Amino acid sequence: MRTKSYVPYLFLTPAIVLFAVFMVYPILYSFLLSFQTSVGGEFEFAGLDNYRRLFQDEIFWTALKNTFVILIIQVPLMLTISIVLATFLNTAKSFKGLFRVSFFMPAVTSLVAYSIIFSIMLMGDGLINQALQAIGLNGVPWLSHPLWAKAALILAITWRWAGYNMVIYLAAMQNIPESLYEAASLDGASKLRQFFTVTVPQLKPVILFTAILSTIGTLQLFDEPYTLTKGGPSDATLSIGMYLYQTGFRYYDFGYASTLAYVIVLLIAILSFVQFKLTGDE
Amino acid sequence: MSKWMKLSTVMLGISLIATACGGANNNNQPAATPGTGDNNVEKVELTAWAWNVNVGALNEAMTMYQKDHPNVSIKVEDIGRLDVYDKLSTGLAAGGSGLPDIVLVEDDRIQGYLEAFPKGFQNLSDKGFDAKADQFPAFKKELTSKDGKFYAFPFDAGPTGMFYRKDIFEKAGVDATKIETWDDFLAAGQTIKSKTGAYALPADKFKDDANFRMMMNELGVYYFDKDGNIDFNNPKVVQAMATLKKFGDADLVKDVNGWDGIVSATVDGSVATIPFGAWYYGTIIDQAKDTKGKWGVFLLPAFEKGGNRAANLGGSSWMLNADSERVDAAYGFMEYFSTTSAVQAVAMEKFGLFPSLQSTYSEPAFQADNEFFGGQKIWKLFGDEMANIPTPYYTKDYAMAMDEAVKAQAHVFMDKDPAKALKEAAERLADRTKRAVNNG
Repeated sequence: MRTKSYVPYLFLTPAIVLFAVFMVYPILYSFLLSFQTSVGGEFEFAGLDNYRRLFQDEIFWTALKNTFVILIIQVPLMLTISIVLATFLNTAKSFKGLFRVSFFMPAVTSLVAYSIIFSIMLMGDGLINQALQAIGLNGVPWLSHPLWAKAALILAITWRWAGYNMVIYLAAMQNIPESLYEAASLDGASKLRQFFTVTVPQLKPVILFTAILSTIGTLQLFDEPYTLTKGGPSDATLSIGMYLYQTGFRYYDFGYASTLAYVIVLLIAILSFVQFKLTGDE
Repeated sequence: MSKWMKLSTVMLGISLIATACGGANNNNQPAATPGTGDNNVEKVELTAWAWNVNVGALNEAMTMYQKDHPNVSIKVEDIGRLDVYDKLSTGLAAGGSGLPDIVLVEDDRIQGYLEAFPKGFQNLSDKGFDAKADQFPAFKKELTSKDGKFYAFPFDAGPTGMFYRKDIFEKAGVDATKIETWDDFLAAGQTIKSKTGAYALPADKFKDDANFRMMMNELGVYYFDKDGNIDFNNPKVVQAMATLKKFGDADLVKDVNGWDGIVSATVDGSVATIPFGAWYYGTIIDQAKDTKGKWGVFLLPAFEKGGNRAANLGGSSWMLNADSERVDAAYGFMEYFSTTSAVQAVAMEKFGLFPSLQSTYSEPAFQADNEFFGGQKIWKLFGDEMANIPTPYYTKDYAMAMDEAVKAQAHVFMDKDPAKALKEAAERLADRTKRAVNNG
């Protein structure tokens, strides 16, 4: 018996309806909104005005620069830490589970709890500065110096996501055939050499995957600056995501906020494309 | 037809339906039935959004209101302060769908909402609120009205005071009653710091400018002037920032992180005074229970001997959803709420919300000694202050102005000249808001 051709679509309908209402409609609507501006409470079509405004908006450029500074330092740093941790854990004999869980915990911690604890630890007279002073160093103005505030954000994001990426690497490492390492050690390759010539090339697709995910995550960065620094001091930690929120919900400019959202989308598309090209994958 | 064509047709159809629904929501509402509030037959359930202690105040008032209006009830949703704004902004941007009848809005946001969404809120003057308006202080009236029409019921206010630790002052041998000017306070702060180690005041140097706003308001200036021009270059605004810098340079300002930082500095006694609105009383008695009897309060010091010492920080008012079909019932209840001194006295005694309704100040609670504050008549002090508070002009670009002012303050604490930092902030703000800048 042949099923009528529309039957599969019938089964798909619930998913499609939800997808359309909660994904397609907002995406299309915000795209329309990005060409509009609010005049006395009514949205009016404004052509490319919002996009033109981007070029003169110094705060947008500051936010863009901040986001990229954080991206360029944080993503490689975090992925390196993750891969090193994963290598050690993969060779560890005991307490494997304990370490795995402890490193993964930050990724499942409630965001609010984590940022409150970080902001308390990073305060002028907080735990971290007390520790620094105890070993004879000067305290660091973590949240109140333009440079250190960025460092604090990078620290916080790395703490939160390094374990998550580590678990992904660990899973991938367990799929690398033992025979490759055996052959390498017969050829006299040291552990370090094995890491660079066996482990890293074997992990390439996974590294690409985590790099793209982390890049997307950092481009959308919002939570940490919102809770830790409010974008300050003096916009030093304002990310595009945070500027988008401010524009929409604090300045009530939903049109321009949608434009900013599409800038993020565009950046993510470009960067993902570049990463694919650089690593030479199809 | 290929399967992609089919799929996209289905999705297009659905998004059209969704759009149609969205549009229908706010147009097809039945016309308001006048006089529902006094009608005993018809049951009305009002809805409201508010946060924190305000929820309790509204519920208590409804219980009192129901004695004469048994048909009216209220469902207050307790939503976090910032979440109320997020939901309200989204709802208004979507043409008023999903909004409650009554919503609490802080005074510094009212003008912003009125300019961004002029059709969203009920004009209260049309319902006859003008006749009641004289019971409120001048600054509160200005904050709740636009172009001579009221759009919000004035509720609580934040007359400012210097909450200080008597025991720390005594230990340093400083007499709080002798402090009349900011210079006096600077000298007192230095004595206190050298004798006890306590800072003069706390500040979230890089994220909030509450001290600066209080000082500006005290001087009768603000981010904007009456006409909405940027007033950062006003010598008085510069004076406020320069005064703050003096305290910073003398190392008398404790840098704290956010609200929690201020509260913990209050509790552990690392600051001797906290300049804040009257509402901070509630936090002190709640968080610093062990320090009962050790507190006192005096008015902000003046900028010159005999100058104004009254200012306001914070406070909120209630706005009505213009699209609601229960707008008359909501008006009836809220007018009762905001103009009945017994109701306001309850809000103050039970929830620590300082009323702006002036007739409330003659209630016994306002004349009483306060035990936590060592028998001081603190409510009388705040009540007397209310009439002298200058109006701060917020405008719809208040949030942006505050962001720029906080940046200027950050630069000043990082050792920039106040006039220069404010001038740069004024330029940035002018660039962002297209407003004119007053020169000096």
